[in-house]
Amino acid sequence: MTSPRSLPMGLWWRRLWVMTAKELLQLSRDPVLLIIIAWFFTADIYIIGSGVSMELRNATLRVIDADHSAASRELIHRFRPPHFRLQGEIFAHQEGTRLLDAGESMLVLEIPAHFERDLQAGRSVDVQLQVDTSNTVLGTLATGYASRIVAGFSEDRVRRELGLTDQQLAAVPRIEERQRVWYNPNQTDPWFMAISELMTVVTMLSLMLPAAATVREKERGTIEQLMVSPLSPFQILFPKVIAMTLAILGGTAVAVFLILIPVFQIPIKGSLGLFFAITAVYVLATSGLGLFIATLSRNLGQVSMLVIVVLLPMLLLSGSWTPPEAMPEPLRAAMVISPLYYYIELGYGILLKGAGLDVLWDSLLGLAVLGSVIFSFGVWRFRRQLG
Amino acid sequence: MGEAALVNEALAEPVLRVRGFCKRYRRRSAVEGVDLTCARGEIYGLIGPDGAGKSSLMKALAGVLAFEAGRIEVFGVNIDSERAAEKVKDRIGFMPQGLGLNLYPELTVEENVDFFAQLRQVPAPALAERKQRLLKITRLAAFRARPMKQLSGGMKQKLGLVCTLIHEPALLILDEPTTGVDPVSRRDFWAILTGLLRERGITALISTAYLDEASRFHRLSLLYQGRLLDQGTPEQILARTPGSLIEFEAMDAGRILSRLRETFAQVEGYGARMRVFVPGCEPAQAKIAVTRALDGQFKAPLRSAEPELEDAFIALLNERGLVADDTRLRLPTDPGPVSDHQGQAVIEARGLCRDFGDFRAVDQVSFRVRRGGIFGLLGANGAGKTTVIKLLTGILHPSDGSGRVADADMRGAGQTIKARIGYMSQAFSLYQDLSALENIRLYAGIYGLDRKTTAERTAWVIAMAGLGGFENTLAGQLPLGVRQRLALGCALVHRPRVLFLDEPTSGVDPIGRRRFWEILFHLSRRDGVTILLTTHYMSEAEHCDQLALMHAGRIVADASPQAMILALQAEAGQLLELEVERPLEALALLEHRFEGVGLFGRRIHLFASSPDAAEATIRTLMQGAGIRLTALRARTPAMEDVFVYRVLALERGQGAP
Repeated sequence: MTSPRSLPMGLWWRRLWVMTAKELLQLSRDPVLLIIIAWFFTADIYIIGSGVSMELRNATLRVIDADHSAASRELIHRFRPPHFRLQGEIFAHQEGTRLLDAGESMLVLEIPAHFERDLQAGRSVDVQLQVDTSNTVLGTLATGYASRIVAGFSEDRVRRELGLTDQQLAAVPRIEERQRVWYNPNQTDPWFMAISELMTVVTMLSLMLPAAATVREKERGTIEQLMVSPLSPFQILFPKVIAMTLAILGGTAVAVFLILIPVFQIPIKGSLGLFFAITAVYVLATSGLGLFIATLSRNLGQVSMLVIVVLLPMLLLSGSWTPPEAMPEPLRAAMVISPLYYYIELGYGILLKGAGLDVLWDSLLGLAVLGSVIFSFGVWRFRRQLG
Repeated sequence: MGEAALVNEALAEPVLRVRGFCKRYRRRSAVEGVDLTCARGEIYGLIGPDGAGKSSLMKALAGVLAFEAGRIEVFGVNIDSERAAEKVKDRIGFMPQGLGLNLYPELTVEENVDFFAQLRQVPAPALAERKQRLLKITRLAAFRARPMKQLSGGMKQKLGLVCTLIHEPALLILDEPTTGVDPVSRRDFWAILTGLLRERGITALISTAYLDEASRFHRLSLLYQGRLLDQGTPEQILARTPGSLIEFEAMDAGRILSRLRETFAQVEGYGARMRVFVPGCEPAQAKIAVTRALDGQFKAPLRSAEPELEDAFIALLNERGLVADDTRLRLPTDPGPVSDHQGQAVIEARGLCRDFGDFRAVDQVSFRVRRGGIFGLLGANGAGKTTVIKLLTGILHPSDGSGRVADADMRGAGQTIKARIGYMSQAFSLYQDLSALENIRLYAGIYGLDRKTTAERTAWVIAMAGLGGFENTLAGQLPLGVRQRLALGCALVHRPRVLFLDEPTSGVDPIGRRRFWEILFHLSRRDGVTILLTTHYMSEAEHCDQLALMHAGRIVADASPQAMILALQAEAGQLLELEVERPLEALALLEHRFEGVGLFGRRIHLFASSPDAAEATIRTLMQGAGIRLTALRARTPAMEDVFVYRVLALERGQGAP
């Protein structure tokens, strides 16, 4: 060798840098990947954040009104937009059943004859509400809203019947429910959904990008060229992870500064620096899993399918779909090994609750430990496969 | 002559007629104005390197590719629409390029055949009969239940042929069926193919990148970069490109070569053997010209030999000015030491073994390569060549045995070895989305060159590979020959002492291949780089200083090419070449009487221990059968003869297919 021998450490770092620069250059030459990254960090988060809502909106409602009285009309008109959309009146029981079966209406409200007369006579009356609960969440919400409406209706009737004034009412002892919402005071869903989607996107891309970069070298045969060079498997793999982490952090910055803050007006409570730092740790951890996927795959198609296989349980075990407390015991235990679980704890904690490391250190520790285990496993698999 | 009859028939009743065919991919033109006509029963060849436009033309003929201009008629049907193509598709069998790419790896041999038969709606009784017959001829019958992915390259190709023939097409279109297949399997494939075509009167259009396969065709078209260079019978093309080939032996090969190159465009050195093509000259004139060029520096007997189609092809390119000016190499001088041939072993393998599960891919392989030597590993597909390279480069670990590479022990000093060797795989593993310059700098960085050395070496690689003007072109967009030299440059950027090349020339045109070899010579002779390579081109094998022939994981012969040829002559006798009128009939007659009988187009090669007695036997045999013998001559065997003879003998010994 004619080149003067640099310090071994310096050479080590230089190789790492050269390889990282190569990965970034290759990424910048791949328009399809760039479009995918741009899409996920902007449009995708915007669509999910503004489109998906946990509130009941425009639930379709039909009415069988056998009474046609002032009272029945009052009750019906309490089912108002934006929660409900009144589609009109029908006249037969069977018609209601048919509409529910066909999915054309979600709710059918049936008011019996003599509804008003019985109320005025002081008899209690039943109304029937049939709800299509094939979507459990929406069904439960609809039922809840409806019973609140009916309860409100009867409370008002009672007040009118008794002729109570507000002062008199205040004298009646009763428990009043007053909610004070923390962290997301207006309970705007976009906050929750957009942050959750950002985390999902980060997860997916950190599984996908390093795996794709690795398997592409396998497909092209360039991996052999690297294996005969003095690079160690770690020096071949880690630059991919660094490069993709940088790309994902860049994307996250775009999502935070162009979508989350200006569009959804999420007040960032904690330190953004801390948020980016834990995102970096999280991406490193998850890309170890991606490298593992790359050792199992021969081509990009297999990578994509395996990413789906890994991504779905990760999301399930993350607590973003279902709170941990609501999961069966074995699954709750399994959450400990899902890096996304820690990331979500940390992410919401920093962004919405303004928590700092003093509170979140245990999650960060969990993430770091889990990350190094997963990453070492990925490199080990790779080394064994090519060794 | 049967040839004249065929040509007449071609005009009377063409199966294929192509006029002014043009195909463009986006703005890039792939084929420009090709005409050809193909008669019933004819084997028509499309010959040219990668990017000549062969595949585009064949896909259009098979009705699977739309084209911009021209007219294609197949069985008299004008293929101008998808519907027109549908009309003739059941009479066409098309095998696309790529070893077994049209087959299903997970299905067995029989399931593959059945699938294609069902696709073509072959009735069951006919299928049973054809399957039996075709599998027997291709000697695949014993492997009916074996999944396709476990077949060797040659067997995959034969299975592909069976699947293409199962519906008894009248026209067969085969796109590079022999690329990447070793010489023995290639011969086997050709023998089977010619037999079947003759027997069924099938017309075939076949493309190849091997110019030495030209003699297998009745007629052919030479294509280069989408243009037609010439067409006709192999003899016609050779006759239209007059010239003489002069051969001689010289010790100081490097100096003589560079001297001759000042005068002649087509000069090659095979070890000590020099080969000069002098265009437009009779042999006597050519000898005078060569003697004059040597300027009294060298005295040795000059021989004249018959030019081959490859010489004609390159002469045609030169004549048409299709060869870029920079093809003549101006290798940058390198202050490296001059090679000493007597030096110690730089690569040494001692009893190397490698197992994959129960399968022993490399078995007790031992050899030594001296400093500055060019060592060639030959062998059929799956003989273990690539595995040996992977063991020596440290990609794989040996199951047993030891070795030294570039003064370091294979087992203890993996990283030291890696810093001292260069490696280039058959895929020319470059980063296609990086430019030429970025590729070079990447490898300079990986090998830890400092800024000054990187600049020096980058300039060296650009000059060596003739990359001037391509520096900022993405590697994926470079012409194949340039890409190959760039890959070589990347493997050389850190001045390795040892260079490993795994099929470095596959798919590259003859000019590119020759140029590549000039670089290798320069490296080995001037810079003392030790080179180990594998190749399927037997003409290239003759360039090596030393060859090892591998079979079933073992080295079965290890000597210089000349020694191997001499050993073959000593063992098998004199090689005789026959030109006869009905070669297939003649072949059948001769096969039982002589050793190593093989068909080369319409010429027959055979070995005879006593040439005179053999000649008498041959003449009697031919006379008895009423076959006219037009020529019979003694020939020096080429490496291909050695390879085929040895491998066939080994396979017979094993009783393997």
